[in-house]
Amino acid sequence: MKFADFISQDAICAELKATDKEGVIREIVQALLDAGRVESDEFEGVVKAILKREELGSTGIGRGVAVPHTKHPSVDQLVGTVAVSKTGVDFASLDGEPVHLFFLLISPPHRPGDHLRALENISRQLRNDTFCRFLKQAKNPADIQLVLEEADNNQFGS
Amino acid sequence: MRIVVLGAGTVGSSIANRLCREGHSVTVVDKDATHARRVYDEMDVRSVTGSAANSSVLFQAGMLGADLCLAVTGSDEVNMIAASMAKAMGARRAIARVYASVFRDLSTFDYQRHFQIDRMLSLEHLSAMELAREIRHPGAVAVESFARGELEMQELIISEGTAAVEVPLRDLKLPCGVRIGSISRGGELKIARAEDRVAPGDRITLIGTREDIDEVRGKFQKSPRPKQGVVIAGGGETGYHLARVLEGRRFAVLLMEVDRQRCEFLAAHLKQTTVVNADAQRRASLEEERVGSADVFVACTGEDEDNIMSCVEARELGARTIMCVVGRPDYANVVGKLGIDHTVSPRKVIAKEVMSFLNTGAVISRTPLAADEGIEILEIEVVDGAPATEHVLAGLDLPPQCLIGAVIRENYVMVPGADDRFTAGDTVVALVETSAVEQTVKMFSSNGG
Repeated sequence: MKFADFISQDAICAELKATDKEGVIREIVQALLDAGRVESDEFEGVVKAILKREELGSTGIGRGVAVPHTKHPSVDQLVGTVAVSKTGVDFASLDGEPVHLFFLLISPPHRPGDHLRALENISRQLRNDTFCRFLKQAKNPADIQLVLEEADNNQFGS
Repeated sequence: MRIVVLGAGTVGSSIANRLCREGHSVTVVDKDATHARRVYDEMDVRSVTGSAANSSVLFQAGMLGADLCLAVTGSDEVNMIAASMAKAMGARRAIARVYASVFRDLSTFDYQRHFQIDRMLSLEHLSAMELAREIRHPGAVAVESFARGELEMQELIISEGTAAVEVPLRDLKLPCGVRIGSISRGGELKIARAEDRVAPGDRITLIGTREDIDEVRGKFQKSPRPKQGVVIAGGGETGYHLARVLEGRRFAVLLMEVDRQRCEFLAAHLKQTTVVNADAQRRASLEEERVGSADVFVACTGEDEDNIMSCVEARELGARTIMCVVGRPDYANVVGKLGIDHTVSPRKVIAKEVMSFLNTGAVISRTPLAADEGIEILEIEVVDGAPATEHVLAGLDLPPQCLIGAVIRENYVMVPGADDRFTAGDTVVALVETSAVEQTVKMFSSNGG
């Protein structure tokens, strides 16, 4: 599965303002709401679901990267986006490092296979240091979009 | 490769250590924080604390898109669940270590298939196979079992004046379940072809079910060697599997087990083995069972110290060859000095097995037939669109240095004929000369390349 299949271009944030875990999740989901990907009356439900998943164990997998995710009935297709924090956020990561790079994913419950394939793709690409560095250095959403397209075309060779 | 090892016990840490040293990127998961910490401190691995059957832990460990998952915790159930989840999360291959043999039995329920696990390995079974190989062919090649134990590969040496000598293999009229894999003559090993003839002194490998192989043995070997006496101390899983593969025409097996109830189980399941309820730790019992006149004495109780002690006694009583299962690496040095001829370490045995899984693409496992001799046993998965699915076997462009030993389809093992055709989902067991491996694998890859 490619990023183009589930990343909402309109919701990409190149400069997150929030500095704590919940704040960051709210800000990213708000971006998805503004992009018309999440219904406004579902906003709180989605945020809660993502935070609940975080309670089971942080999705901050180390090296400044986190992949908050959940399944939620309010979406009927995979919804995801990318966000970058210049300052870094304490996300209770595995390695204790602050997180700069966020991939957030919300999937409909009836497509468990696609959900896993999307997470797999994100995990795979995030192992590439060059890919991560390019994303962190991106100045605006268009730059980020370009990096994602390059990854979709296997230009980072993972 | 990216490998996630679940369980940082003796087996997990020793495999992690070996994989690390070979340059793989390894993450170790253990539910005990001190174990996880220890491996993190001792080697170049990532470590995660948590249950191996916990999705959040597996996510943190990077299971999504990993190349290999090795589930080797102390719990069979956890290993199966974790390996199954690993596959669903996109790990390319997953291996689960299981102790109880019921998990590897297909007759009532096929765990491996249900859970979509690539291999279920039992340390005890592997150790027993390693001991059996050493007993059957001291110092020689594989007595591997393939196709989930349904298929064996055995080596034998051609005797003078037997029916097979100087007859082209195609005219030997072997039953359809047996195939000659390789012929070794004067140090040169090659894949057998239909027009080849065998000569006295050649070593050949036969592939097939054990019953079929035993049946055709007479075509190649004159009167088999006199029965050898094997005494096994310890009727646990290892002792049981060892007795099961050895018992029969060539070996008279005596199995000593302390636990009375276990003896009843063993006696019921091992038709040709003499099961005695006796303690191999006691010299009197060893004398009573005439261990002194045994050809081979094997100690495989669960305890290293007990094994070593009874081996020393057996040696003194006069048993000819002494073998011992030793788990602790620290003891390896000592046992040689005690006159024990051969030791099997379960850690090493499983590590060797795991190494054969470090492949890419359609190849599941890759094992050398014998050390440095140029033939490999490949287990290959047939994928959609592979050139190998386009024609019947006879019409395939397989290199002549490749011999298809068997196909596993829907749980059943068969030796395919020229008119059979592979379909996606099959697993193929092939003997291939190393030089032809690449060309062979191509035939099974989705785009032929």
